[in-house]
Amino acid sequence: MSFTAPGHFLSSSFTPSLSSRRSIKPSPTHIHSSLSSQNPKPLSDSKPNSNFSSQPKSLKPTSLKPKSDKPKSLFSHPLSKPAALVSSSALFLCLYSGSGGGGHFFNGGGGGGGGGGGGHWWSNFLSPLAFAKDDGESEGWDSHGLPADLPVPLNKFSGFKRYKVSEVFFFDRVTRTTVGTEDSFFEMVTLRPGGVYTKAQLQKELETLATCGMFEKVDLEGKTKPDGTIAVKILFTESTWMAADRFRCINVGLMPQTKPMEMDADMTDKEKLEYFRSQEREYKRRIQKARPCLLPDAVHTEVLSMVRTDSNVSAKLLQRIRDRVQKWYHDEGYACAQVVNFGNLNTKEVVCEVVEGDITQLVIQFQDKLGNVVEGNTQLAVVHRELPKQLRVGQIFNIEAGKQALRNINSLGLFSNIEVNPRPDEKNEGGIIVEIKLKELDQKSAEVSTEWSIVPGRQGHPTLASIQPGGTVSFEHRNLQGLNRSLLGSVTTSNFFNPQDDLAFKFEYVHPYLDGVHDPRNRTFRTSCFNSRKLSPVFTGGPGVDEVPPIWVDRSGVKANITENFTRQSKFTYGLVMEEITTRDESSHIAAQGQRVLPNGGISADGPPTTLSGTGVDRMVFAQANITRDNTKFVNGAIVGERNVFQLDQGLGIGSNFPFFNRHQLTVTKFLQLKQVEEGSGKPPPPVLVLHGHYGGCVGDLPSYDAFTLGGPYSVRGYNMGELGAARNILEVATELRIPVRNTHVYLFAEHGTDLGSSKEVKGNPTEVYRRMGHGSSYGAGVKLGLVRAEYAVDHNSGTGAIFFRFGERF
Amino acid sequence: MATQLIREWTGIQHFPAATQNKLLELLGKLTKENVSSLTILVMGKGGVGKSSIVNSVIGERAVAVSAFQSEGSRPVMVSRSRAGFTLNIIDTPGLVEGGYVNDQALEIIKRFLLNRTIDVLLYVDRLDTYRVDNLDRQIIRAITESFGKGIWNRAAIVLTHAQLSPPDGLSYEEFFAKRSEALLKVFYLGGPLMWRDPLASPMPVVLVENSGRCNKNESDEKVLPNGVAWIPNLVQTIVDIALNGSESILVDKKLIEGPNPNERGKMWIPVILAIQYFLVKIIHRAIKNDIAEEPRPAWEVENFSLNGSEELDELLF
Repeated sequence: MSFTAPGHFLSSSFTPSLSSRRSIKPSPTHIHSSLSSQNPKPLSDSKPNSNFSSQPKSLKPTSLKPKSDKPKSLFSHPLSKPAALVSSSALFLCLYSGSGGGGHFFNGGGGGGGGGGGGHWWSNFLSPLAFAKDDGESEGWDSHGLPADLPVPLNKFSGFKRYKVSEVFFFDRVTRTTVGTEDSFFEMVTLRPGGVYTKAQLQKELETLATCGMFEKVDLEGKTKPDGTIAVKILFTESTWMAADRFRCINVGLMPQTKPMEMDADMTDKEKLEYFRSQEREYKRRIQKARPCLLPDAVHTEVLSMVRTDSNVSAKLLQRIRDRVQKWYHDEGYACAQVVNFGNLNTKEVVCEVVEGDITQLVIQFQDKLGNVVEGNTQLAVVHRELPKQLRVGQIFNIEAGKQALRNINSLGLFSNIEVNPRPDEKNEGGIIVEIKLKELDQKSAEVSTEWSIVPGRQGHPTLASIQPGGTVSFEHRNLQGLNRSLLGSVTTSNFFNPQDDLAFKFEYVHPYLDGVHDPRNRTFRTSCFNSRKLSPVFTGGPGVDEVPPIWVDRSGVKANITENFTRQSKFTYGLVMEEITTRDESSHIAAQGQRVLPNGGISADGPPTTLSGTGVDRMVFAQANITRDNTKFVNGAIVGERNVFQLDQGLGIGSNFPFFNRHQLTVTKFLQLKQVEEGSGKPPPPVLVLHGHYGGCVGDLPSYDAFTLGGPYSVRGYNMGELGAARNILEVATELRIPVRNTHVYLFAEHGTDLGSSKEVKGNPTEVYRRMGHGSSYGAGVKLGLVRAEYAVDHNSGTGAIFFRFGERF
Repeated sequence: MATQLIREWTGIQHFPAATQNKLLELLGKLTKENVSSLTILVMGKGGVGKSSIVNSVIGERAVAVSAFQSEGSRPVMVSRSRAGFTLNIIDTPGLVEGGYVNDQALEIIKRFLLNRTIDVLLYVDRLDTYRVDNLDRQIIRAITESFGKGIWNRAAIVLTHAQLSPPDGLSYEEFFAKRSEALLKVFYLGGPLMWRDPLASPMPVVLVENSGRCNKNESDEKVLPNGVAWIPNLVQTIVDIALNGSESILVDKKLIEGPNPNERGKMWIPVILAIQYFLVKIIHRAIKNDIAEEPRPAWEVENFSLNGSEELDELLF
């Protein structure tokens, strides 16, 4: 039994002179790709290999990057490997003649199906057959019952038997050779050695092959084997067309597919001629109407050379062209792009018709916890502004744009689950509907966490009366008015019975889209009410000074600022701060002056003044501005780029003693990549040289709590916080060389900090009172172990070294 | 303290006649120059004999002196008047404690001196110390920082325990010269201001021997091994300094607290702000530059250039 190509794949032998309207139609395969993000944690029941799961929102968005390869490869699978030029009719045959399962596959499990390899995908595609095979295996199979080595044409097969196929091979009738198993033909056949098939299945298989357009003629023949199995031999003649020397790629998305006009069998030659002419004209018009496609010149040239080298245009060549073109699209992230047709065959030009995947509609949907579509609280404009322009209607769908949208929406922190799905538009052939499904987080949340601290009572024994209930009460009201405004507050105390002792609180209101949600300018207004308690590093002893009584600096106040985000990392913040600063000693009494230990061991309270007013309590209002320029990026996990921060506190003369000052800091950090490396996951990061400079200065009133301190893990490593001094102007320089070792890095560093002689310009000269040097250097080496840095730092003032463990980065 | 009783200078009568004459002559010289009062500040390390100098000059036991421990931790002013002339000598506690300059002592001295004028500073050290170390430098710097460099125009170095036998091979004169040179060097090196603006006159170095066993000459004056009667010599130096034409040091609040660093440069804040405004502008421009230069993934560029490249594509095909 043999099939020839159906009518509209006019074979070259049929009308050789007029067949300019040859076309091969690859399948209009449906794509289901799904991008999804779960916030705050991925759901366990999600399909892990099809869903693009983003990290919990607390992590930096950059952490998403290493993952991006995975979904990409997934997407490319179902699309790059539909390895046959299957006509649409053939495809639907497969889908609907099999069982309901085939059709279902596309909508329900599309993403999951993509998880397999290319060939595998194809076998899934014809899932009914695969099922049959499975059944056969479990129930056994029937022997062919014929003598061995007997060629059996397909129509001689018994319809009641289930044959076990032990071998499959292709036989080219023209060259009279057997095609190797690695040939692309094998991608099209679903028969697998070892499978069990019925005659009907084998017939279907043959039909599929026949209608795919690759073959002019194709036959299936069995050959009996002594062990009762059969070898399947596929005899074929490849379709070929006239040699071509031009290549053209057009975007036929959203254009109606040309329907082959019915051709009457009893048309006269003239009518036929007329008919083909009209078809030709129509096709020319179509080409003209079609939009140019995205394919770059480089690929175009490559394909052209492929066309020119071959003596004639064969089905195989077209397959290769299609593979090359589709590969480019999929590599670039145009996941919905497909070569749908080759037209103009048997002319000098090969026309490759591509449906690139034009977005015809963008749908944003809100879902409740059960997945029902609901009316969301979030205003659509909030989501819309996060979408890249490439995801708008009229653009071509790109998976990277989808991922970008996913990341952007995720960074809003409003949704627990985000899915970005491209879906074929049924009403608009070749169109893509981008569906964004969002699950909103609860608007209100409140949390109470408690802790009990057992305080030693008399004689050091914990007593019942001394158990203190402590904890944190926090609440959050997110997404007010659907505009991502939020109100949050928290109160923490270690003793709810006596909260006045150490009550820490913070209330914050965040108002994004200050310029309106439609304005591209991204400014956020924030106001907060806070308090904090910190140990002042100003009142710290130098080397050899054992105990300097600590001074606590309590700040409480109100802050209002506007942040303008230029990029994800670069921003400009400006605002006003109104605060009350209280300095306290160890026993929580207000301390107007630092204490010092006298040489005879006594303590005197006449150290440097702690506040500007001299009373231990300062109130002040000042303006604050901070501009951060950060163009750092990760190159295989190593940070590279530059970060500049300028911060300014400008006293306005409002407050105790009318503080008028200008306190400024400039930080410049450069991460220089020392070697060019290939980017990609798994590739080693480059060695990086870090150069860092920090200048801080103050003109005008400078209370000791605002003095710049030298020493500490973020100033000069190897020293304690403030161990080198507290000054009016400081300069810190540091350099670090990071050398990648396996999947982490080791580093060498040298740092220096100096007070520029300005320690005495701080009232009371705390640097000298606590016998500090005012400057110091350190050098050392360390290794990064996950989040922890382990380093050995040598303090150059004393020449001694020590090992430190620190969390986080120095720069 | 401010209302301290000014007593008649009776101690002067206990001096030998030659000394008395000399002193009266010098006082007369002062009154002739319309100087009716003289305030002398005595400073130095602990235990070098500051208080003893005061007692020796006054001629009575005005300040308690003990051989083994430092007396008061606070300054004492002794005032004596004679024939309309008032002599104030301020004795101070030692400036060194535990190997460091005692800031607290200095602070107390400064506060004590508030609103007083210092005519003469006597910086006291021992002659029989051989070395000059960093501590001396620190003390001198501390004094300079407290009272300004001008104080050294009104200062004399006083070396006590002058009655000593110098180490072998050195004559007394040589030893004295070497010691004073070493000390003066500290002044010129330790105070960075010194060589930039040299003193009006080289700082005098005076020898003193407070001990009761001090040798005496024929007129019963206490004399040094080099035969100089030291009390008249000291007073002579003091008077010379008082009349050397330089400004006396008025200790006011500003001097004590030093130039308020918080006030310095305040008027420049608007200018600084203006400069900072431009700095912010520069950074802002750099950010814009970053955005423009940011390498975009191909998909962002391709879709965008679509419209523009249409003609190009037509040409190509």
